[in-house]
Amino acid sequence: MISTKELSRRGFLNMGAAAGAGLVLSQTGLIRPAHAAAPLAPVKAEEALIAFGHTGPTSDEGWTWAHDQGMKAVEAAFPGIKTTYVESIPYSADATRIFRQFVSQGANMVFATSNYGDFLYDVAKRAPKVGFYECDGRNPLDNLGTYYVQHWYPTYVAGIAAGAMSPTGKLGYVASFPVPSVYSGTNAFLMGARTVNPNATLQCISINSWFDPQAATQAGTALLDNGCDVLFGIMDEAGYLQVAQDRGKKAVMWNTDLRRYGPDAYISSIVVNFNDFYVKQVGRRLEGSWTPTYELLPMGGGVDRDAWGATVPAEVAAKADAVRTKMMTEGYSPFVGEIKDAKGNIKVAKGQTMTEQELYHWNWSIEGVSGLDG
Amino acid sequence: MSTWRLQRLPAASPLVSLSARLISVVLALVTAGIILAATGKNPLDLGAQVISSTFGSSFGMADLALLFTPLLYTGLAVAVGLRIGVWNIGAEGQFNLGAFAAAGVALFLPGPPALILPLMAVMGMAAGALWILIPTLARAYADVSELITTLLMNFVAALLVTYVATGPWLDPSGMALATTARLPVEVPAVWDIVHWGLPVGLILAVLLAVAFGFTRWGYEVRIGGSNPGNARYAGMPVRRHLITVMLVSGAIAGLGGMMEVAGTVHRLQGGISNNFGYIGIMVAVLARAAPLGVIFTALLMAVILNGGIILQPQGLTTQTVLAVTGLILFYAAIGDEFARYRLIRNAKPAGTR
Repeated sequence: MISTKELSRRGFLNMGAAAGAGLVLSQTGLIRPAHAAAPLAPVKAEEALIAFGHTGPTSDEGWTWAHDQGMKAVEAAFPGIKTTYVESIPYSADATRIFRQFVSQGANMVFATSNYGDFLYDVAKRAPKVGFYECDGRNPLDNLGTYYVQHWYPTYVAGIAAGAMSPTGKLGYVASFPVPSVYSGTNAFLMGARTVNPNATLQCISINSWFDPQAATQAGTALLDNGCDVLFGIMDEAGYLQVAQDRGKKAVMWNTDLRRYGPDAYISSIVVNFNDFYVKQVGRRLEGSWTPTYELLPMGGGVDRDAWGATVPAEVAAKADAVRTKMMTEGYSPFVGEIKDAKGNIKVAKGQTMTEQELYHWNWSIEGVSGLDG
Repeated sequence: MSTWRLQRLPAASPLVSLSARLISVVLALVTAGIILAATGKNPLDLGAQVISSTFGSSFGMADLALLFTPLLYTGLAVAVGLRIGVWNIGAEGQFNLGAFAAAGVALFLPGPPALILPLMAVMGMAAGALWILIPTLARAYADVSELITTLLMNFVAALLVTYVATGPWLDPSGMALATTARLPVEVPAVWDIVHWGLPVGLILAVLLAVAFGFTRWGYEVRIGGSNPGNARYAGMPVRRHLITVMLVSGAIAGLGGMMEVAGTVHRLQGGISNNFGYIGIMVAVLARAAPLGVIFTALLMAVILNGGIILQPQGLTTQTVLAVTGLILFYAAIGDEFARYRLIRNAKPAGTR
């Protein structure tokens, strides 16, 4: 059996070793090979309890809403199954308490729809008969899997449209924390924009939250005041879209179709759909074949760009969609060296394609992105 | 002919105050129950579930103890300040700083745990004391209200912790987001996942009770708190006591932060203080700033907060639970005032007015 710990460590070393090192990890969407652990015993649907722990409120119309739709899909697919969820779980020891509570309630499967790290890991370790999944997770166990989306591809596509629609080439980004899901978003967005607008730059503001509409609105205003004319971000709600609408600027969103909050400003959104993933994994758990998986849902299978906004010119949409089609049919990746970081160091050598593992763990800004590194 | 009237007492009798406290807690729970019933939930069922989940398993008891521990420290920190009439609203920030300093020692100083852990505790306390130093000096020498200064320092502390955990001290393995690496040393466990932070906190409560009850220092602090003018007139060094007490208050909160990061969370990250500093204010007020009382009120708050977590899968939000803790404080404040009155009967001699 291959030790996943070793593999992930190697993945990290490769990433840190800048250019040159032989990158051997697969690009199939699996970020780690599946475990050889024995599957968990089957459960009858009527006796099963599936628990969801969310970072925000299910009414956010964004990230948490999308995961809540997944829970509803599970309920529809397995009549009689019981579900439970907790919203707005803080990233503190309270999260441990809530996940432990799920276990003591008899949950057969627990989905954490955000990265709770050790707070989930410690609980999973002590509950080997419960299947756990951590969205955007990093540390696997025999009963703890990971799932996330390859959002960098649709983000690159949206970046092309954003670059084409930005007269100044100054793009803004409302960030949560300087974490890989943000870096892969900012970098992919700017790389896409630069294909049509070579001097484009991206300014970021971190608001230390995934859901704080007021702070997101303020950050959006500050970015526009700073001269940006297209906003992007990774917020669970529509705050900065409304700012862009009011100021006559443009915005790209995340999670869901939010065009009603800013029909003129709306370019597109990185839309997610976890329904099939949840139904599949709950099905495996019920029939007794579940072992943890470590997967990145691909573009077209869990994440995509939304239908283009009303003000996106047809030729811009066509240009961006051509790249999208190339990615989906030919496996085209734009994440090819030479890529420099914000300090000018060459991080990906000329001609080298970044692996999915590297994209998932991306933790440095490319040249042209400001405001995330220290 | 007789009339009833309310008479205000200079101080409430201990028995009456204690009953007022108990009644206020019960009333708060009853009020919360009525509100829950109005939203279509059965409060008795929910209550039974809280009790069986909390006390019915070693799982629940361990969770409770882990929640109790930080509240013990922040409660004691605020209580100590109240003894000399200081409102330390900054326990939240001092707790964060204690965690910050302790994590710094653990992450960057190699050495045997037997050496590193005590050093972490000392640095945690020093950092907590340092964080209240400016409010202390401002209060002692310029009479600036510590209510505002200690509060404002909280925001700085929270941002500092978030900054280092997502920036310079970010876990270099890339396997954890927005936190430092797991600390290489941890506070040893006494039972299940409950660590030495709990017994140390209990011992601290007893030591403080002895210090306030049986030493000259404790006596002078109490007099300095209840009547600074008289204390000064009697030649007591009120300012010096004020400074000492505030620094001790900060140090206790800092020690709580060290225990939380090294015993419970094991990584420094934003949100580690988890409002413990603010809830500590309630703990201290409910305990009337008595260190031994803090043990019971911190436990009560832990039961309520833990109950809130148990009830969240039932569709109750965190806000509801925080509202219940607020209700308790609200009733306690009313109860305190009532406890200072007694109903007396004026028997008036006939023929007089």
